[in-house]
Amino acid sequence: MTRPVAFFRLEGVLLPRPASLAAAWLAANAQELSRRLGSLSAVAASAPFSLGLGDPAVGARLAWMGLRGMSEDRLEVLGEEYWATHLDDKLRAAGVDLVNQAKKDGRVVVLVSDHLEPIARHAQKAVKADLLVANRMELRDGKATGRLLDPVVARFGGRPLRDFVAEHDLDLDGARAYGAASSDQVLLAAIPWPCAVHPDRGLRRVARDLDWPIVES
Amino acid sequence: MSATHDASWVADELAGKHLVITGFTGFLAKVYVALILEHVPDIGRITLLVRPRSARKRALQRVEEAFDTSPVFRRLRAQHGRDIGRWLGGRVHAVDADIEKPLCGLDAAALERLGSADLVVHSAGLTDFSPDPLRALAVNVAGAMHAADLAKALEVPHVHVSTCYVAGVNDGECPEELQIGVAPNGTPFDAAAEVRALQMACRRGEGAKTTKGRIDIGMERAERLGWPNIYTYTKGLAEHLVGLDEDATIVRPAIVECARSFPFPGWNEGLNTAGPLAWLISTAFRELPTRPDNRFDIIPVDDVARGLATISAAALQGRAGGVFQLASSDINPLRFGRTVELTGLAMRRWVRKGGGQATDRVLQHLDPVPVAKQGFFNTDRLRRWTREAKELLDDERPSWLQRVAGGTLDSLRDQAVDTDKQLKRIDDMLDLYRPFIETHDWTFHTDRLRALQPSEGPFCADVEGIDWRHYWVDVEYPGLRTWCMPVLHGEKPPRDPASMPPLRIETETVLLRAASK
Repeated sequence: MTRPVAFFRLEGVLLPRPASLAAAWLAANAQELSRRLGSLSAVAASAPFSLGLGDPAVGARLAWMGLRGMSEDRLEVLGEEYWATHLDDKLRAAGVDLVNQAKKDGRVVVLVSDHLEPIARHAQKAVKADLLVANRMELRDGKATGRLLDPVVARFGGRPLRDFVAEHDLDLDGARAYGAASSDQVLLAAIPWPCAVHPDRGLRRVARDLDWPIVES
Repeated sequence: MSATHDASWVADELAGKHLVITGFTGFLAKVYVALILEHVPDIGRITLLVRPRSARKRALQRVEEAFDTSPVFRRLRAQHGRDIGRWLGGRVHAVDADIEKPLCGLDAAALERLGSADLVVHSAGLTDFSPDPLRALAVNVAGAMHAADLAKALEVPHVHVSTCYVAGVNDGECPEELQIGVAPNGTPFDAAAEVRALQMACRRGEGAKTTKGRIDIGMERAERLGWPNIYTYTKGLAEHLVGLDEDATIVRPAIVECARSFPFPGWNEGLNTAGPLAWLISTAFRELPTRPDNRFDIIPVDDVARGLATISAAALQGRAGGVFQLASSDINPLRFGRTVELTGLAMRRWVRKGGGQATDRVLQHLDPVPVAKQGFFNTDRLRRWTREAKELLDDERPSWLQRVAGGTLDSLRDQAVDTDKQLKRIDDMLDLYRPFIETHDWTFHTDRLRALQPSEGPFCADVEGIDWRHYWVDVEYPGLRTWCMPVLHGEKPPRDPASMPPLRIETETVLLRAASK
């Protein structure tokens, strides 16, 4: 039997910061000083994509590519530090209320995040989400290759979404989804009950056109 | 589950037995004793052979003080409350002894009182890497022989605690075996003759009048046989002598570090191997010359105590004998490169949680890195600069400069002297540790304990299950900062406040004495 579900985009709905800032922070904290500059350059190259110019999946790949060579230990320990020092106290109350309401309604709460898993995992714990879909770094011999494993979360929807729903016995027909950026349209459009929370200009326009509810705090 | 792997077989075997233990005032033996007392409350008796420190501080007082104030026994104290003195009295006996003397300095009457002993566990030893060889011979070699002789006199099995690093330069795969009369570099030798020769050289040889001279003599002889320092050399010699008795059981732990869980995560005592290395990385010194892929064979002290308890039980059953290694390098290796990085990450977390000083807050952002060779800012160059700066500041100053900035220049001079001292300490430390962190890579086999130990429970040393990231960042580093760093800085590590009135072990003698009064 399938279970009712609600998808929440971490970036925008629950957090005010984009994932690219986390990539930049991690790059600036690479082990060797000489590596920090190179890593930051890769993240800087992804900036135009973060601003909505081009495919966000390409932007995500570029941003996280800067972490090539970083150890799994570093990603995990600094992931926790980044969460604790930069994100933990920045959870948006409106987003948290929506998560709590979904749980009260008996829905499986799924957090969808552009952040890497070692960071997003702490968000999942903080809001007590049931499931997490976050970017995963490919690791070889305990070191990041710089390549994100598929599917890249930037445009979570379509086939990966259907596979995820089937894998976890979720009810897509009655599902809800909460997004905040234009790139979330793919997810929101695939869900019968979409909702825009603190939307950016692009998503606000789409939400108005398609008559999606808009939540502002 | 086979009978030997049953979770309770170790406790069942130890129950009702009488163990005679040396080295109780050391790091490992205290954890071993605490573990047994907590998990085998029906142990027959534990006799602790302890050297009196003075007429007022005899074995009993030292043991009482340890039970009263050592954090190792917090759990036991909490469990028994005010009744602990009486509870210990039925189980723990402290006896004045001296392992440097034949039969550990016990007279006939004391030996008679040990007549019910079932096992001797010799854990006492000098763990300094470069002590005075005469002292090391007295404690590590003669002490081991005296403990073995005591076991023979009592007609009981004997467990001798050694170290994996008796392997010396013989690195690579290190099986659990001892080839009597073959030095680590393959040279045939006679251990008894070597002991005599070392004693002779240290008493009458050239330069033997000073400790430094004797250390040089000891180091030269150690290196000639393939041991990197006096500690491993004397422990190695002891093995070659103790091992002549085929029934003797030799237990070789690798680098014994902070407890994983017992008595509590992070517990450590004194100066161990990783402490100085972590200190080094916590200084402004950011480049550690090491081979990143070499194994850093760490084993938490509670896992060693668990292993030692299992081997003790097996020795009581007549199933031990030979060499047992307690290590992690064969089944769950931790590499130096990873250790260096984890130490930097652990320092960040320690500082974030409120630890450390102002310099730590800066240094946490400059991660330590393992390097093949020190770079531009190597210790030699830095020491030259500080010495030049000191000489410059020592020069006679014009009176106007002395008037305007005399105080500041004096303080800069003092800083240059301190920095030079610190750099020298770093240099010495690197020299001492080089064989372990750079030159050699050992893989110590540990199959024998794994075949023997219970698969679960308080005596299972689950080394394979150690999550090194969690252990190093959340357990080892905070443990080192709390318990070891104060010692490195010449301060006293924290102790628990003594109870009021102070804990007294209510042995029969004490009770009789009280009754006669």
